[in-house]
Amino acid sequence: MIPELQFSRPKTIREALNLLATPGQNNRILAGGTDVITGIQMGSKRFSRIDLLIDINQIPELKTITENKAHIIIGGNVTFTELIENPIARQKLPLLVKAASTVGNLQIRNRATLTGNFVNNAPCADSVPPLLVYDALIKIESQNSGRELPLQDFLTGTYKTLIKPNELVTEIRIPKADTELRGDFYKLGRRKSVAISRISLAVLAQIEEDKIKEIRIASGAVTPIGERFPDLEKWANGQKISDELLKLLAKKMAEKITKANGLRWSSTYKIPVLQQTFYQLLKKVTD
Amino acid sequence: MKKNFSLIGKNIIRQDGLEKVTGQAKFADDYTFANQLTAVMVRVPVAHATINAIDYAAIENDPALTAIVDATDIPGAKKIGAIRQDQPIFAYDKICTHGDVVAMLVGESHDALLALRDKIKIDYTELPVLSDRTKALDKDAPIIHEQYENNEIVHYPLRKGDVETGFKNSDHIIEQTYTTPLIEHGYIEPEAVTAILREGNKGVQIIGSIQNPHTTQNVVAAVLGWPLAKVRIQQAELGGSFGGKDDTMNVLSARAAVAALKTGRPVKIRYNREDSILESYKRHPYTMHYKVGFNNDGKLQAMKIDIIADGGAYSSMSPFVTWRTVVQATGPYEVENVWTDVRAVYTNNPYTGAFRGFGSPQPIFAQESLMDEIAVRLNMTPDEIRRINGFKAGSVTASNQVLKDHDVNLLTVMDTAIEKSAFRKKWRANRQNNLAKEKSFTIDEENLFLNKDDFVDPQNVIKRGIGLAVSFRGSSLGAEGIDAAAAYLSVQKDGSAYLLCGLAENGQGLRTTYSIITAEVLGMDIENIFYLEQDTGLIADSGPTVASRSTIMGGGAVKDAADKIRKRLEDILKPEWKLTDSDELVFKNNKVQNPKNKSQEMRFGDLCKLANSKGVSLSVIGWNKGPDVGWEEETGQGDAYFTYVYGCQLAEVAVNTVTGEVAVERIIAVHDPGTVINKMGAEGQVYGGVTQGAGFGLWEEISTHEGMPRELNLDEYLVPTSKDIGEIIPIFVEGKDKYGPWGAKSLGEPTLELTAAAIANAISNATGKRFFNLPLNLEELLLNRKLHKEDLQRGSL
Amino acid sequence: MPKITFNLNNKDITITTAYNRRLLDVLREELGLTGTKEGCAIGECGACTVLLNDQAVNSCLLLIGQVEGQNVLTIEGLSTKGELHPVQKKFLKHGAVQCGFCTPGMILSAHALLHKNPSPKEEEVKEAITGNLCRCTGYKQIIDAVMDVTKG
Repeated sequence: MIPELQFSRPKTIREALNLLATPGQNNRILAGGTDVITGIQMGSKRFSRIDLLIDINQIPELKTITENKAHIIIGGNVTFTELIENPIARQKLPLLVKAASTVGNLQIRNRATLTGNFVNNAPCADSVPPLLVYDALIKIESQNSGRELPLQDFLTGTYKTLIKPNELVTEIRIPKADTELRGDFYKLGRRKSVAISRISLAVLAQIEEDKIKEIRIASGAVTPIGERFPDLEKWANGQKISDELLKLLAKKMAEKITKANGLRWSSTYKIPVLQQTFYQLLKKVTD
Repeated sequence: MKKNFSLIGKNIIRQDGLEKVTGQAKFADDYTFANQLTAVMVRVPVAHATINAIDYAAIENDPALTAIVDATDIPGAKKIGAIRQDQPIFAYDKICTHGDVVAMLVGESHDALLALRDKIKIDYTELPVLSDRTKALDKDAPIIHEQYENNEIVHYPLRKGDVETGFKNSDHIIEQTYTTPLIEHGYIEPEAVTAILREGNKGVQIIGSIQNPHTTQNVVAAVLGWPLAKVRIQQAELGGSFGGKDDTMNVLSARAAVAALKTGRPVKIRYNREDSILESYKRHPYTMHYKVGFNNDGKLQAMKIDIIADGGAYSSMSPFVTWRTVVQATGPYEVENVWTDVRAVYTNNPYTGAFRGFGSPQPIFAQESLMDEIAVRLNMTPDEIRRINGFKAGSVTASNQVLKDHDVNLLTVMDTAIEKSAFRKKWRANRQNNLAKEKSFTIDEENLFLNKDDFVDPQNVIKRGIGLAVSFRGSSLGAEGIDAAAAYLSVQKDGSAYLLCGLAENGQGLRTTYSIITAEVLGMDIENIFYLEQDTGLIADSGPTVASRSTIMGGGAVKDAADKIRKRLEDILKPEWKLTDSDELVFKNNKVQNPKNKSQEMRFGDLCKLANSKGVSLSVIGWNKGPDVGWEEETGQGDAYFTYVYGCQLAEVAVNTVTGEVAVERIIAVHDPGTVINKMGAEGQVYGGVTQGAGFGLWEEISTHEGMPRELNLDEYLVPTSKDIGEIIPIFVEGKDKYGPWGAKSLGEPTLELTAAAIANAISNATGKRFFNLPLNLEELLLNRKLHKEDLQRGSL
Repeated sequence: MPKITFNLNNKDITITTAYNRRLLDVLREELGLTGTKEGCAIGECGACTVLLNDQAVNSCLLLIGQVEGQNVLTIEGLSTKGELHPVQKKFLKHGAVQCGFCTPGMILSAHALLHKNPSPKEEEVKEAITGNLCRCTGYKQIIDAVMDVTKG
């Protein structure tokens, strides 16, 4: 059941920000609606008592994917389908495109947005691990100010971020790498499609001869939110690639996750399988 | 022997296809009536409690509320049930499971009623919850229904020969315990029903997503205390059922009828998915202990079987479901000494009832796992062990029934599947391969962090396996109950016809099958047959549309009706053409012809016109009563079913040994349903049944926490999608049988019952490990157990 | 109550309704277009699939305000002048229909795919309908039907 509410469809970012600033009421952005509407339907506390829904689907500025010398810039309301079909994204952000292709089903991908995925910040948000290894930055605006920060800093906890009620994510900026990076995205679900991630992993690495020059590692679903592993990355950087190293890296990641989060109901399965699948992924990337 | 059929076995477009592809087909929720009211259910958030008082003070005078309807409004039976009347329409003394409804709020706005519901105060006293079926018969178990001395719903013993001697004479004995979970039907259409009071003394009309209109009629009449004929049940187009829209719909129909009576207005109940999964009945979870004795030559000597089925809070169809189990529990194998006990018990879990397969998929998983284990023990292939013990013509079943009067095609269907897949070669090669390489990865729960040697080399991650399962299945109801069906055929004077059978179209395609049968007998255009709406006022009670009995029983009734019409037409024509009674006429291509004198020919429509002009009625009721069957309750002996069908499914899988993912690459499904009448429909049954069977084997499970289901919608209850199953190859071996129209028997359920067992055997072939607890999901493969959240919180809330 | 104008099945219409109504509710309850079904209300089953600007979407997850000025196609708008759409014809030919409840959404998903990609591979057909659950058919005859459309 959807309670009575007000609804607005701004045509510009400015207009949207003004609406978000409407005082004395609960204003919420409506992008794809795949989290918001289902949340309202299921009676989720996170989506209760909304006074005004601001549908940002009529704002062309939020729909673009462009690039300049330093960045690939994804508008704040780009759907997964738009991302998957975009030539720039396909060429330059293969991990993100791969992750996007595994989100929900086609009907969901036609509506759900990349921004919505990390603003909702479920543990299993498929796009988060790739965005993290791409060192994504996000641009947030409000009526009177704006800021830019790393996505990693924006995500604070399960279903929690630094977004304020009057703010809108208007851009995702992904720095272009100046060297060639190899990487891959892995997702484990219970079904072959329309599956919620049990484990997701993203790895991006610069490999020089038989050494890991630089590696970036991120996980989803096995951690309370998508996370990077800076200590592990630092430990691995510069090391000679060997079967032993990759196994150790996989084990260290599992130990780190367990130490940080303790054992949960699913850990008995996820922790060993994480090590196996992360090892498989590392083998593939470093092969 | 094979007749030269015009339509039978050909690809025929569905009778109801046009309205379904254009969106015009009217399902229960697509009906709207002037002045109709809607309803929301009032439930208590516990599985077991006594109700002390319900305080409606906060909402009583609210304008959004038209009426509160509860047990005090019921003029007739307050509790219903096929065998035991233990299920309340509205719970009034106690709560036995989470789905129980104590009252219904009726009004114009659903949203407004939902808001009112939150304001009701219910005073209840919680009782200890019984959720473990294996503890239901313990002395200190909470009693679910005080009117019965314990929680046993039913107990079927089967005693044949002397098992102890059989075990003594066995070279080997294997004992195993198997479990299967609570399974949701997962019809895509949730339940909906509207009750409309008719004018004057005409009673009530009910239209809904009802699987068995006559059962619903019986229940509603009992609840209202009315004569049966004062209750008319109309089936809306049914959006899937699979056995699932029986008891639940009877209860919802009765609630709607009581509310319509109280308010004087049409009342519609429509469930959302959460309501549906919470309240509707499901497939019985089974715990099955098997002990089998066998000799070095592979011959089975004795089987001792102890099965507990979780009936949940109400008896529903448990006495019928578990009866099929006791008949078929030893599988299609000759065993001289059998001792079987099958019990259904009450718990506070969601109640369980009919579901495609009906007490067979569970024991087939157990017995077919066991047969493979025996094969491995004796260094035989799975087909060898089955060939030694499997039923042949004249074999005697566990209930001492001699298999005769039909082709006992068990080994034929198995051999067909084996040849199609090079089974033996693949099975042996997989085993050797998998034994040669390192052992499959299994999680060590004591140490979750892997040693170097635990990591699996990428090229060894995927292992392939092949497995098979076979079954025999009694057609139709057997000694469960009265087995007869009616059909109404009314041929018009232009040669078009109305057709209706007492069995109901649930999506399986019986309108098409019945039209094919009619058109085949009368040689008329199938497009000229117009199938009537399912309505208890139009057709006789034909028993429920269950047990894969539509073709064999309903088809028989339709053929009887068509044969009667044909006889009447022949009786008119033969004197006209100066033919004798023994002369044959050909009814084909919309014409009737004398094959010996082809100039004697008449259009079918002209012949009907002639009949009409002569005052001959071309409206008939066809009737088909099944042959007598028998059953000794104390010993479980007797001719349980009048005939049987046989099937073999073979699964090829790829197992990801580090994640536990199973990819079903191919299923070969060989079935002997007798003569195939509706070819596309039959193939559709195989594809759909196999896919549901794979879901049962690999993904589907309703888990409960203190009796409350966790998986309440399709985000968590995982039914197979279009990408989850590989190739499915249906093959029909059309054995002869003296029963059924042209020897056509049953197919719907056999297609489902074998798949999980075949997949389980294939997984064992791939991994070298055996699994005992369905579904064989990620955790089961690596941990040999399930993992569930400790609480009921939905992640995203 | 607001007025919403949009193009429905190739005709512009204006309705007066409330903003908390889903497109699905409006289609079924206010416009009498009951070919669009509700199966789960959370975007998992696809029974409510309609095309929004030629894309398959779940009408249970769209508020009515969101379709203002957009093009919506439901199953009722697929066949023109009494002639079945090729996807509908092939569904009949291949026995791709059983109970029929998922059928409208399934056909629209197939239509959206073929509109964008007139000669899909079998894997692409499967991917395009993962959002449409069917419990009866095991999908096989549906996939065959869609593949057959590409053959004309």
